[in-house]
Amino acid sequence: MKKTLSIVLILVLVLLVSGCTSKEGDLEKIKIGVSPEPHAKLVELVADDLKKEGIEVETVIFTDYMTPNRALDSGEIDANFFQHEPYLNNQIKEEGLNLVSIGKVHIEPMALYSNKYKSIDELPNGATIGIPNDTVNGGRALLLLEANGLIKLKDGVGVNATELDVVENPKNLKFKALEAAILPITLDDVDGAIINGNYALESGLNPVKDGLIIESGESPYANIVVVRKGEENQEKFQKLLNVLQSEKVKKYIEETYDGAVIPAF
Amino acid sequence: MMKELVIPALLETIYMVSVSTVFSILLGFPLGVLLVITEKGGILEKPMFNRILGGIINVLRSIPFIILMIIVFPISKLLVGKTIGTTATIVPLSIAAAPFVARVMEGSLKETSKGVIESSLSMGATVPQIVFKVLLPESLPSIVSGITLTIINLIGYSAMAGAIGGGGLGNLAIRFGLYSRKTDLMIVSILLIILLVEGIQFLGNKISKSINKK
Repeated sequence: MKKTLSIVLILVLVLLVSGCTSKEGDLEKIKIGVSPEPHAKLVELVADDLKKEGIEVETVIFTDYMTPNRALDSGEIDANFFQHEPYLNNQIKEEGLNLVSIGKVHIEPMALYSNKYKSIDELPNGATIGIPNDTVNGGRALLLLEANGLIKLKDGVGVNATELDVVENPKNLKFKALEAAILPITLDDVDGAIINGNYALESGLNPVKDGLIIESGESPYANIVVVRKGEENQEKFQKLLNVLQSEKVKKYIEETYDGAVIPAF
Repeated sequence: MMKELVIPALLETIYMVSVSTVFSILLGFPLGVLLVITEKGGILEKPMFNRILGGIINVLRSIPFIILMIIVFPISKLLVGKTIGTTATIVPLSIAAAPFVARVMEGSLKETSKGVIESSLSMGATVPQIVFKVLLPESLPSIVSGITLTIINLIGYSAMAGAIGGGGLGNLAIRFGLYSRKTDLMIVSILLIILLVEGIQFLGNKISKSINKK
């Protein structure tokens, strides 16, 4: 019921939007499903650049995370931009969707914060590190530690890693799994904690300035542009990705989001 | 691997629940007594005080446990020097269960017949004497049942202790069993919780019955 309703709403929205736009017949169109922030802002930022390339981009804003992939798979939109790769893979597996990523744009970085130490070299042997206690964010936190050489995870566990999958731990770090939202207020009770960007910012922590280590654009958790499988090589999508990965977007992200969002290209 | 996870979790649950049972009774019992003696027609009638106390108890019982755990962080810091971990979890567990204990005690103590209290009063018994020599012994079997209920309730609460690093069987079942899809681990943890609950209920019933016989 809910699904049908949301599809009907999207259709109405799409019809309204397409009814309003001027009839420039020679422009190629991309209807892209996006989350409001920062995804919609970024696409709107490059809309004029795309027009110069002969592409008219239309944003359809979604505030949930289920419909954009379904709408894309069923052909109601041409692309979407709201998720990271592990989420897409999970959706493909669970919903049997035929979608593929064409590239990364930005990341809302997780970082390691500490009230006691200024760098990871200062972390003592046996230091206690707070990590989120849910599978998605917990695995993400461990991957950040692995990317910085603090631990090594069992081969193949990837984004599903838990602290039980740590096979090498030269600093003998101890992990304290806690509710992600309360990690910032427990910083005094641990030697360090790995915190999601949104929770860190709400507590006055800035990933770029305060993080001892921070996720890079290389991280699998960067936000990606997704299209239907088989269409990934179409020129219009390549052009879309090119403008989203431009210097202009990079500059805009760095100036607007002050570390809460960083470019992943 | 299973043993390495389950045994510490079992011990954590037993530790958290047993210590917080003691503290919640220490906090809740006096409150329950106050509720009974200050109510209208009680031996120390103070309706205004009674209403305020009842209100506070209701407020405490209404706060969702996961939020209560965070609200009491400053108290945990003061009492155990930490806000996270198994020991720190005892603070919110005790505070969450205390108002529950107060209500359970209130119910039990009220079972004492008015006639017994009145005759003690006419014999010149003081308020503490009535509480400890009349109310308490008279309602002991019911109090034991109430404590049994409290312990089982605390086992339920302790499942949420994982949010602040308390560990325990409930956390194991949720975090590794449910979230990470290790079904065997989930089943073993839940079975152990069931065994704990069954054991405590059995013991509670036994003790309550044996007191009743006297």
